[in-house]
Amino acid sequence: MSAHQKYRYENDCKPDENRNKGASRWSHCRKRGADGSLRKSHAVEEPVKCSQSSRRPKSFTTPESEGPVSRVKNWGDEVEAEEMRSNVQRDMHRYRRRILEADFPQRDRKISSGSSDSRDSRDSKESSVKGDIETDEATLIRRQKQINYGKNTLAYDGYIKEVPKHMRQPGVHPKTPNKFKKYSRRSWDQQIKLWRVKLHAWDPPAEEGSDVQQIEVIDLGEIMDFELDVECSVDTESKCPTSSGVSLSLAEDSFTGTPKKVMKIEDTEMS
Amino acid sequence: MENSTKEEYKIQSFDLETQKLLKTALKDPGSVDLEKVSNVIVDQSLKDQIFSREAGRICYTIIQAEAKQTNGNVFRRNLLNRLQQEFKAREETRKRSTQEWVCLVSFICNIFDYLKVNNIPMMALVHPVYDCLFRLAQSDALQNEEEVDCLVLQLHRIGDQLEKMNMQLMDELFNLLRDGFLLQEDLSSMGRLLLLEILEFRAGGWTLSETAQKYYYSEVTD
Repeated sequence: MSAHQKYRYENDCKPDENRNKGASRWSHCRKRGADGSLRKSHAVEEPVKCSQSSRRPKSFTTPESEGPVSRVKNWGDEVEAEEMRSNVQRDMHRYRRRILEADFPQRDRKISSGSSDSRDSRDSKESSVKGDIETDEATLIRRQKQINYGKNTLAYDGYIKEVPKHMRQPGVHPKTPNKFKKYSRRSWDQQIKLWRVKLHAWDPPAEEGSDVQQIEVIDLGEIMDFELDVECSVDTESKCPTSSGVSLSLAEDSFTGTPKKVMKIEDTEMS
Repeated sequence: MENSTKEEYKIQSFDLETQKLLKTALKDPGSVDLEKVSNVIVDQSLKDQIFSREAGRICYTIIQAEAKQTNGNVFRRNLLNRLQQEFKAREETRKRSTQEWVCLVSFICNIFDYLKVNNIPMMALVHPVYDCLFRLAQSDALQNEEEVDCLVLQLHRIGDQLEKMNMQLMDELFNLLRDGFLLQEDLSSMGRLLLLEILEFRAGGWTLSETAQKYYYSEVTD
């Protein structure tokens, strides 16, 4: 039937589908494709292949060499990408609301001309944040993934259990970088790195003092896997992608003794 | 507790060992092989009509449980990828067994209904679901009461959601249904009745007027 054929064609070339945009934009930021193979830097993610591909004209696919594995997305990945985008959008709305709420009291105060101190801090907050928040979806998603790698660690779990948010002291306690603030790529990556290093202080089996369970978790790339093998095989499923992701996005993460040393230096600087 | 779980998730048709596996997956997902669990669920939903229409629920619960316990989504990923495989092979499945095909469609639609991402339906499933429904609206399928029945069931359950996701495709689908109703001669009268009802249902904004409800669903008394 003509309608169905028309439908098939439409289904094959959907230029304005959200998910296609999301997929290709997102995948540019990844070093590796969904199957783990290294991705060429200029490779473009093709829209999801319709399974009725027998009639699909090859002309409107991107002129690319073979490798259906790297082109065809599986549903699992697609949905994860959707979820990531949706979470980031939701976070952005919440963040915007929070910023706006912070502004309201200020308007009242302008009339009564309160202390300049509080006005200043609010002003700077307003100008640095409200007009200038990061809104590029690809960037937010990339940053969120880096944050997720850090939060998906035993160290982070231990940290949030030990130190409730209101007890956190700036400088001493690691603070998750704010993905909505405008930073250069380098600045952001560095903040993430420092944050992760600081979190190491809460790694479960430590050298000095605390309970000796198995082995140190310092080299996230390697040792995470090993530790999980010892602990519980199921964790590997959820944590493994994390660790492999970590070793990719933070190239220098394989320092063994360094974190401790860095921590000590910071401590002395503090005091 | 035991029986209510069975009833709630409609897992009575599984053998006892598998029932146990599923119950453990619901309570302690980290302790089971979630890939195996997803396969077990998909396999069964292709065989069991009742389960295929309700499996979304147990899947949803396992996903939530896993996310809460381990922050992972192994189960969801495996489920979706397995589902995708079955979807790709749907034409062969249809040739082999109408019942399996119909179960597959019910299952995919049920998953679409239950597994939402931040309360939004999964966009990745929209086209596959439409693909299935379009297939059911082809003339060879319309001849077959089993398939028409499946088609209208899905539209009753998720039609309005699907329409929101893509109005144009829904319009096209209904063009086919209208054509089928009017022009196709080899439809059974039940098939025709089902089509007429769904046409009215959508025209009424995905609900039946009272008179239509009476017409289609009340007992005829002589």
